[in-house]
Parts: sequence; C-alpha cells; structure tokens
Amino acid sequence: MRLTGVLLGVILLTLNACAFSRGTLGDEIKTETIHSIKKGITTRAEVFGQLGAPDRILQLNGRDLFQYYRYDAKVGSLLLILVNFSRISVKSDDLFVLINREGTVEEVIASNRTQGLEFRFWPFGD
Amino acid sequence: MTSWNLLRILLVTTMAGSTLTGCNIARLTINTPLTPQHVAFITEGRTTLAEVVNVLGAPDSMAEAESGTTVVYRFLNAKYSRVNFGWLVKPWSPVDPDLVMSRSGFGADAFELICDANWVIIHQGFVRHRPEPLFTPYPF
Repeated sequence: MRLTGVLLGVILLTLNACAFSRGTLGDEIKTETIHSIKKGITTRAEVFGQLGAPDRILQLNGRDLFQYYRYDAKVGSLLLILVNFSRISVKSDDLFVLINREGTVEEVIASNRTQGLEFRFWPFGD
Repeated sequence: MTSWNLLRILLVTTMAGSTLTGCNIARLTINTPLTPQHVAFITEGRTTLAEVVNVLGAPDSMAEAESGTTVVYRFLNAKYSRVNFGWLVKPWSPVDPDLVMSRSGFGADAFELICDANWVIIHQGFVRHRPEPLFTPYPF
C-alpha cells in the first residue's frame, strides 16, 4: 500500500505536463444534409445551395464529381521529465457527389470517419 | 517502510528513469492504416464500390481512368523516436551537452481501386508494400 503511494508520488513528481491540441480544416458535413441529397432528384443547383461550392471539382467520364472534405486532427502529449509521449491522429470526412449530364445527382459517396476520433498520447499499438 | 527504503526506491526509480533521459516517442496517423486483411473481402470483378464504401468509408480521391474510375484510399503511419544521451551527464556538467540520436519512419501508403462503368472493382492493390516502421532511434 505504502509502496503504491511512493510509486504514485514518483509518477506525480516526474509528470511535467499534459498537452491537448486540436485542428480542423473545412466545414462540418452534416449527416442530415447528406441524407437530403436524393439520387435522380436533387439537382446541381440544390447541391450547391445545401453544401456550398465544392472543395474540388473533377471530371469523371463526362460527368461532374464534386468533392467536399473536412479534416480533424487531435494531438495528445504526456510530457514527463525524462520521457515524452505524443500522438497525432488525423482523419477526414469526405463527400463525393456525382452529377450526371442532365444535371441531377447520380451517385453519393460519403463517410464520417472523424466521429470516433479520440485524443490519444500513447504512441504504441493501433 | 523505513526512510532508507523509501530513499532506495526513489534512487532506483530515478536511475532507471535516467536511462531514458531525454527520450521522445511520437506517432502520427492519418486515416486508418489499411492492411491486406482489411481489404480481403474485395473480389475483382464481383465487389462493387458501394460495398467497399460500406466497409472502408469514402475514399480520399477519385479520378477518371481509361477503363473507368480510379479510387484511392491514402493513409500514413509515421513513427519518430529520439534519445538525448547528453542528459546523462547534465547533473554533473557545467554545460548543457547534447548527444542526440533520432530516427523517423514514414509509413505512407495508399490502396488503389479501379472500377468499371458499373462501379464494379476490376483491379485493386497497395501502392507500396513496405513493413510498418518501428520505434528505433538508432539511425545507423
């Protein structure tokens, strides 16, 4: 019991600092907005109206592909006097909207990877 | 526990810690690093892009290819470790000496898919086949 206390004291004495940082790039892509885009119904103008101008426009076999993205980065650091552990985790949410030649949505590809992103400082393991 | 034992524990812990003096261990991951096990479910000529997206999420980029569409999942698993042996003599040295060894490993890779006009996967593969980098500060 006393040994545990001593070890805890040593850890507390060597614990210099903790740091948490976060950075985001792009606007949040809301799930309800993605669900409101209907294949064969929603038009190019409506997509612009709901999501704004895309981050990237690509040509895909004569059709327009709009890409929207958002990046989220979380940094956790455990700064001890003798050793520092840091981990930076970055994930992105991407939304692709394929517009056919008639100007309506042909395909929607989306995922929300940033939802489960956590602050971690331990650099080992997965 | 006597004060002598307490002092001994503190001394041993400090000495053990001193062997790690000036250590930095850092890791950067961008997206989820994919392995062949993650993509084992993909069968060329049968699996569709929708099925892939259901499992792996949306890709990072899509581009036009002669035979259809190229879909790319990018990821990075970088590791950095650093040891400053100069810290060992810090308590006894009037100057602040540094003897630093460090090494970084950038585990950058991408998983590429080619889909036909019906969004069926016709080709797939990893761009690089390098083993995962290790936390080894020895640079030589």
